[in-house]
Amino acid sequence: MIDILPGIQSTSSALNAERIRGDVIAQNIANSTTTRDAAGHIYQRQEVLFESLVPQAGADGGAAGQNGAQVSVRIAADSRPPRLSPDPSNPGKMIETPDINIHREMTDLIISQRAYEANLAVAKSAKSMALQTLAIGKRG
Amino acid sequence: MSSISPIRLSPSVDVSQMLASATGPIGAKGAAGPGGVSVAQFEKLAASLETRPADFNSSSVASALGSDFSAPSSEFSNVLTQMVREVSAKQAVAGDAMNSVLSGQGVPLHEAVIAGEEASLSFQLMVEVRNKLLESYQELMRMQV
Repeated sequence: MIDILPGIQSTSSALNAERIRGDVIAQNIANSTTTRDAAGHIYQRQEVLFESLVPQAGADGGAAGQNGAQVSVRIAADSRPPRLSPDPSNPGKMIETPDINIHREMTDLIISQRAYEANLAVAKSAKSMALQTLAIGKRG
Repeated sequence: MSSISPIRLSPSVDVSQMLASATGPIGAKGAAGPGGVSVAQFEKLAASLETRPADFNSSSVASALGSDFSAPSSEFSNVLTQMVREVSAKQAVAGDAMNSVLSGQGVPLHEAVIAGEEASLSFQLMVEVRNKLLESYQELMRMQV
């Protein structure tokens, strides 16, 4: 199969990774004030870890390393203990809420969005290069 | 002599039709997909490259033009046919991916869009090859004998 867009496999995996990071951040922000889930457990903040992954030989019928390293995503739970705040309706009792800092989540969201944009720029550049290459030798 | 491309168009090819399609809507670049020239037409063109007139004798041509010319002539048409199939497969993949996105089957949007771009670029590459092929044929037909 002709590889008409160079490096597109890496870019595609990176876009996927950033999308998952966005999902996880959205989940963290949405659950920042929840107290417990259906099983009674408190929500643990989730974090994404990106790892580079070099495709193995024959995995997609191509040679090893031909398409460059791709990004694989691992989601890990943040093990920090919950925040405790006094329960207004039960004096003397405390309420547990997840230790989620909205500001930190928002900066993570901005980083994720910019990284997504950077990868989109790579894809755009690859397409533009392919089109310009096809136009070699055109009149005018 | 060895640099001669092993392309031979048989008289059975409807040249006027090919030339008409060459100046047709595909002249506008980027007409990938259902509009413009279809993959089926390319299949026909590739198949017509493979057919040879019944009285075609490669050895007589070879003796007229030199021994290097006697190599099997179907190599390029095989490549072209293969290319047409790959482009067709890419278009099918892109269509499936976009259908999966639209019906909510969990395919990420960017993968469908990238598949579409790959299909479009491959189609344009195929069109360029076709244009070049016809250009060389027309050049040969203009030759004063």
